[in-house]
Amino acid sequence: MSVEFVSTRIGFREGLIQLAEKRDDIVFVSTDSLKVVKGEPFLERWPERVVEVGIAEQNGVAISAGMAAAGLKPYLCTYAGFLTMRACEQMRTFVAYPRQQVRFVGVNAGIFGGNREGVSHQFIEDIGILRTIPGFTILCPADGDQVRQAVLASVDIEGPVYIRIGSGKEERVFPDDSPFEIGKIRILEERGNDVALFCHGFVTNRVRAATAALAEKGIGATVVEVATLKPLDVEGISAVLAKTGRAVTIEDHTIIGGLGSAIAEVIAEDCPAKLVRLGLQDRYGESGFPDELLDAYGMSVESIADAAARLVVEAR
Amino acid sequence: MISRERIAQLEERARQIRRDIVEMVYRTKDGHPSPSLSATDLIAALYFDILKIDPANPEWEARDRFVLSKGHACPALYSALARRGYFPPEELMTLRFMHSHLQGHPYAPKTTGLDATTGSLGNGLSVGLGMALASRIRKLDYRVYVITGDGELGEGLIWEGAMAAGHQKASNLTVFVDNNNYQSGGTVGEITGVYPIDEKFRAFGWHVQTIDGHDFAQILEAVETAKQVADRPQAIIAKTIKGKGVSFMIGDNSWHKRVYTDKEYEMAMHELGGLR
Repeated sequence: MSVEFVSTRIGFREGLIQLAEKRDDIVFVSTDSLKVVKGEPFLERWPERVVEVGIAEQNGVAISAGMAAAGLKPYLCTYAGFLTMRACEQMRTFVAYPRQQVRFVGVNAGIFGGNREGVSHQFIEDIGILRTIPGFTILCPADGDQVRQAVLASVDIEGPVYIRIGSGKEERVFPDDSPFEIGKIRILEERGNDVALFCHGFVTNRVRAATAALAEKGIGATVVEVATLKPLDVEGISAVLAKTGRAVTIEDHTIIGGLGSAIAEVIAEDCPAKLVRLGLQDRYGESGFPDELLDAYGMSVESIADAAARLVVEAR
Repeated sequence: MISRERIAQLEERARQIRRDIVEMVYRTKDGHPSPSLSATDLIAALYFDILKIDPANPEWEARDRFVLSKGHACPALYSALARRGYFPPEELMTLRFMHSHLQGHPYAPKTTGLDATTGSLGNGLSVGLGMALASRIRKLDYRVYVITGDGELGEGLIWEGAMAAGHQKASNLTVFVDNNNYQSGGTVGEITGVYPIDEKFRAFGWHVQTIDGHDFAQILEAVETAKQVADRPQAIIAKTIKGKGVSFMIGDNSWHKRVYTDKEYEMAMHELGGLR
């Protein structure tokens, strides 16, 4: 089967161009990151709406805060960890706390996103960090066109928004122009209620493939995409958990603070269920090819299917 | 030539702000009095002479903006906002209380007339630069003024912002350095090694002036000169005195954050025109 790649970086750029065609308050803030997302077409059309601040992420965030306070909608796109770790305080105190409408787009998320660059450029903590900051909307679209739509949908959200993207080599998950709805889970597969597989982002196709392997073992799985990590669709997640009573979370992120933690919180407070969390098990990745890394760190189709099957078999 | 009346008016405004600072810290039992007093004359000049603002229309898009990067000096700023008519002066005495709109460090969404949220040091220059760049993009003709401390020049982000502002030729950005020579733990010379300040800003592509930050004629003239600079941001290094206006606070850095006793309060108010 041939795999079609749809770059999340290009998806971001195309979404931003579509926004800028309609509104004159859209600004592209670059920390020497314009070329990373192949932003030259934006620069050619709206040079006055590109603010290049150089390799200085704290500066980029603080400048964006000032521009937002003066009525603009800055989109700051650079490496996910240089934003959420190096400029974390600026994102919190100068953007989220005063509810400034700055939009952050974090590149190279996960070991899949950072792949051969190694740990310094593989960001597995971004969602956990931002989930603790009041006021953020956190979006993890699954492929390039979903990113484009997330960018379009982000423009009028109150307060700051974070959109998690990758290296530009993501597989297609959805047909173009599939809707992207903020704040709602989406059921992608309904093969039964033995177990729910919760996921987001670039592992989604793997999770869907795992349901086929599970079906061969007589296990019916439901695949749930949680593309909005905040605000979390607690009601939708609880409804799924109530049916399955068993859940596996699959995320290209540390299992602490991200999707696995979010689902665990729902389980603890709203709807008891058994849970297994797949993702980075409180450890770092390493350099490697993207798919090879996901396989090695517990997110192969087989690992996902095995984890789900064990949960179901234990219960029988 | 700046008229004597103009200066006398500012001197009276500054004295009122200093009285408010002492009163706020004494009555609410918290705050940073001496860093507020060093910045008082700059803030008085901004709010009662320099800034193009309209208290009846605080959200006016083309207004000048002010960013107090050394946010802990906000008692001075809150007083200026109140005395300029943004909110009733009696509300000053709710500083740092629950449900007050006057947070311990400036929080723009709560305080009418306040342009920027600050408090964590080193960020205000970049926030101000963002506002200055927005005026270009939105084709609004306004200027942005920032006051930084001298101790906070130790933050790396100040120099990221300084480099970007110079590179962007942000000529509608003027930064005052409140050079009172002290930070929380001692003199800036001892702790930060920040000098020379003027040469650093010049090297980052700024127009630089050094003035007496308690001399209104010098403050107003320096701003007039800065406004004529068309190709660079401007730094005005204001030599100031931490605790200015209250003699027993000067040279005693414990007043960085300290509350007045009844006797100290009376002594301070006596120096600032007497108890009323």
